[in-house]
Amino acid sequence: MRWILRLLRWAMGGVFLYAAYTKLREPWLMFAMAIDSYQLLPEWAVLAVARTLPWFELALGLVLLSGYGLKYAAAVASGLLGGFFAVMIWAYLKGMNVDCGCFGAGDPLGPRTLIRDGILLAGALLLTVLAFRPARASARDETSVLSA
Amino acid sequence: MLLRIAACLTAAAAAAAAQAPPGKAFGNQAAPLRIEVFSDFQCPACKNLHEGALAQVHRDYVRAGKVYLIHREFPLPMHRYAREAAAYATAAARLNRYEAVAAALFRQQAFWSNSGNVEAVVAGAVSPAEMQKLRALVRDPQTQMAIEQDIALGKQNALSQTPTMVITKGFRRYPVGGNQNYAILKRFLDDLLSK
Repeated sequence: MRWILRLLRWAMGGVFLYAAYTKLREPWLMFAMAIDSYQLLPEWAVLAVARTLPWFELALGLVLLSGYGLKYAAAVASGLLGGFFAVMIWAYLKGMNVDCGCFGAGDPLGPRTLIRDGILLAGALLLTVLAFRPARASARDETSVLSA
Repeated sequence: MLLRIAACLTAAAAAAAAQAPPGKAFGNQAAPLRIEVFSDFQCPACKNLHEGALAQVHRDYVRAGKVYLIHREFPLPMHRYAREAAAYATAAARLNRYEAVAAALFRQQAFWSNSGNVEAVVAGAVSPAEMQKLRALVRDPQTQMAIEQDIALGKQNALSQTPTMVITKGFRRYPVGGNQNYAILKRFLDDLLSK
């Protein structure tokens, strides 16, 4: 199990670092336009998210790669990807013709992006489950030692 | 990094080489920003962009000489009448009537998208004499060739959706897909102009 956990941690960390890189290499207002095209947030929130999210993704990617506070980092990654996925499904069902905004410009929302992000979400959830498992297992072992 | 610079230079050279179609380019050719809009007349997001943000870009930036705006056709195969609409618009551009015909096509998109009667909509936007010329120009191979050139340019730009605005400043190109809110697009254009 340990190597699966390590592999998933590196993969998710790499994905978040790449996502941050594709956004940070372009002017931040291009990402703002991608967020705004979903028509979910007011202008001030669009600008705030566009300014901060790429840096947050960068930090999350580094934390995942380092393995420090893995349980919390994995849970945050799952929450973030779950949120993105929900918004994407909503926009797709509404028939919105928008750029995904996930990995820079020129990535229109469609079945391909939904499958890709669905796989990423599944990976993050699995990482979260695996990250919490050793703690539960060690707690169980401790209990059995005490009862003996 | 070197590959990226080379790609930018190649794309910029290709964009510069691509002639602005007559009657479809607006503003000062020497403007600091160039926006090429790839649209499909049957796509709802293209209608929204044309009637919303693009109209305001025309008013605030094109007339002020800050943006050189070029309309390009990118009719999608899934839209049955989009190619015919593009042909009428391209033919109208040759009579310097692109704006009137494009506006009418977008305004009445729901009507002709269902009925297929593109000609009736165009006829309502131009004079009878112009319409007569347009009927001949639509069949002209030059008109079809101009559309093919726009499509080829779109593919060269790796277009993945309509509408897409390709904003160029110097050698840097910024593809912006989908309909856009003018407030944020304006911030982006102002940011580019200030650099």
